[in-house]
Amino acid sequence: MKPLIEVLRGRKIICCVGSGGVGKTTTAAAIALREAMDGKKVLVLTIDPARRLANSLGLRELGNEETRIDPEMFSRAGLTPRGEMWAMMLDLKHTWDELVRMQARTAQQAEAILANKLYQTLSTAMAGSLEYMAMEKVYEVHTSRRFDVVILDTPPTTNALDFLHAAARILDVLDNNAMKIVLGPMMKAGKFGLKLLAAPSGLVLRTLSRFTGSDFLRDLAGFMMAFEGMYEGFKARATRVKALLTSRDAAFVLVTSPNPLTIEEALFFHKALADDAIQTAAVIVNRVQRDPRRHGGPDTLSALQEALQLAQIKDAGAPLLSERLSQTLTDQAALADLDRRQVERLRTTLHGVPLFSVPRLRKDVHDLAGLWQIDGYLGENGGD
Amino acid sequence: MTEPALLSKRLVVVTGKGGTGKSTVSAALGLAAARRGKKVLVCEVVARERVADFFGKPPSGTKIRELLPNLYSVHVRPREAMREYALMTIKYETIYKIAFENPAARYFLAAAPSLSEIVMLGKVWWHAAHDSERGRLRWDLVILDAPATGHGLTFLTVPEVFLRLVNEGPLARDMHGMQSLLADPAQCSVCVVTLPEEMPANEAIELDAALRKHGFPPGPLFLNAWFASRFSPQELAQVTRGGPMLMAAGEAADNHESRAALSAHYGGVLREAVQRPILPVPFFFERQFGAQAIDKVARAIESAL
Repeated sequence: MKPLIEVLRGRKIICCVGSGGVGKTTTAAAIALREAMDGKKVLVLTIDPARRLANSLGLRELGNEETRIDPEMFSRAGLTPRGEMWAMMLDLKHTWDELVRMQARTAQQAEAILANKLYQTLSTAMAGSLEYMAMEKVYEVHTSRRFDVVILDTPPTTNALDFLHAAARILDVLDNNAMKIVLGPMMKAGKFGLKLLAAPSGLVLRTLSRFTGSDFLRDLAGFMMAFEGMYEGFKARATRVKALLTSRDAAFVLVTSPNPLTIEEALFFHKALADDAIQTAAVIVNRVQRDPRRHGGPDTLSALQEALQLAQIKDAGAPLLSERLSQTLTDQAALADLDRRQVERLRTTLHGVPLFSVPRLRKDVHDLAGLWQIDGYLGENGGD
Repeated sequence: MTEPALLSKRLVVVTGKGGTGKSTVSAALGLAAARRGKKVLVCEVVARERVADFFGKPPSGTKIRELLPNLYSVHVRPREAMREYALMTIKYETIYKIAFENPAARYFLAAAPSLSEIVMLGKVWWHAAHDSERGRLRWDLVILDAPATGHGLTFLTVPEVFLRLVNEGPLARDMHGMQSLLADPAQCSVCVVTLPEEMPANEAIELDAALRKHGFPPGPLFLNAWFASRFSPQELAQVTRGGPMLMAAGEAADNHESRAALSAHYGGVLREAVQRPILPVPFFFERQFGAQAIDKVARAIESAL
């Protein structure tokens, strides 16, 4: 089996996908570290609102700016990278604003949109917005050629389906003829320079306004007017972003834990990618319990009591030390069995996809040394 | 048996990072309350419902289903919630269909800020505060299994955000109702679930601060998958140095103690940083996570409450 770094060789964009809490951020950072050690200039981009990546890289703050991981941190971990590792946390609003400024025909048009009350909410609160802007940022960084490799840590799987379709869905909303017809009278009034847009009229609009209030409809009409003429540019760009992500330049790495629920979600995600004709490049199972019985030796109560006696260890306490040891062995063997079955299920279902299994580590990973330890399990024997 | 304050609320919200066991805690709280004779509804507002499955029942879907005597669950989904909610306001199915189920409105509804969150929260709120039969509220306790951290906070603050944009109409009026229920410590409690690991613990600390900043009444923080120490340092040292015969036992004991050490460490970190009671929920070594495991979690929570 090829080591993960070989599997990903030549890819310029690596998206780590999977459900929440499976160690996606840590995995993304571990891959980035390996790329940097091998001489690449690499950026790891996280879009999680919590500061996970900052935590795992020992950085205090991680704004929308590309921040280089201090070479001092590498030497403290005993590492000498031939390349550079950078990190960045996506600022949702900022990325939207940049995109609007870039696509607006005039500065005036950009300002009108940025000042719209609805835009401000839409840009940060609309479902799929985070996914869209993450893709946008990856595209922007990729085309700038500032980095050899960009690694994206995505939001949890529940949003994953939105991932490749978020842009199209949002743009559909912004450029929708049916909606323009409904809002038409209000928009027309606006065009004639009336300060106050017309009151909602027509059955559909009146009913909707009973539900949301008419202020909202005015904002919406205003927003759609301000956006007019910009859709084409947005759409063309979104199409290019999607083309890039479905090209050979990009790779999707599925991250999961051995928990049956997250395994199920991983399989679900694999299928969603396949529906977009994207192959899962590799799958990484984090926090796999290793079976202590692989060492052999006694595991029944009486055999343990004998072994303690032979080692001249006092079998004391309540419950007795031998009883507690026996229980602990049983517990961990049970967990290891569960995990093994789940990993096998995944391996069988994702037949042919390189699978790496990272054992549960004794300590939390929160520095480069810990990330480097993880890299050790992403080698040719797949962690076994 | 005195009743824990948490179970005497009208609405208990369970939030936290994904994968920390929110559904488990929601189901266990529901079971604990139902056993005390309360009629409980667990509302799952996540992509995939889990609670019914814990009790070996088929998914409830968007219809309320009984899981055990007194314990019910429902999967709250945006489209159905929108329909139910709009019908309550508009009253006429035909007008609803014309206004809401035409292509233009679909887009419009997708564009309205967080409208799906609003209607889902609206449904939960309605069950907690208005759903009545024969002049009496139908549910003694509603438990909301909220979306994961980032989305969870967005979810709970949706009335606040909406009211900044819109301050008239029936929806705005209901938003005020939701806001006051969510802010009332006598009726509502917002709990956090986390794990004794670095990132979940840090997120829990941020979430705790954010929830308090928005004025949500603080419920307990459930520290899930808690490992209690089983071996003294001396025992551990002896066993791990006990030679090849004790290699497996030594590794098992060492693994166990390293997780117990993490539990103790993050328990301490959280106690320092978080301004709410902390309830450890022991890790249960179950081969199948079902009703039995939920029962164990429920008993552990009850004795800690």
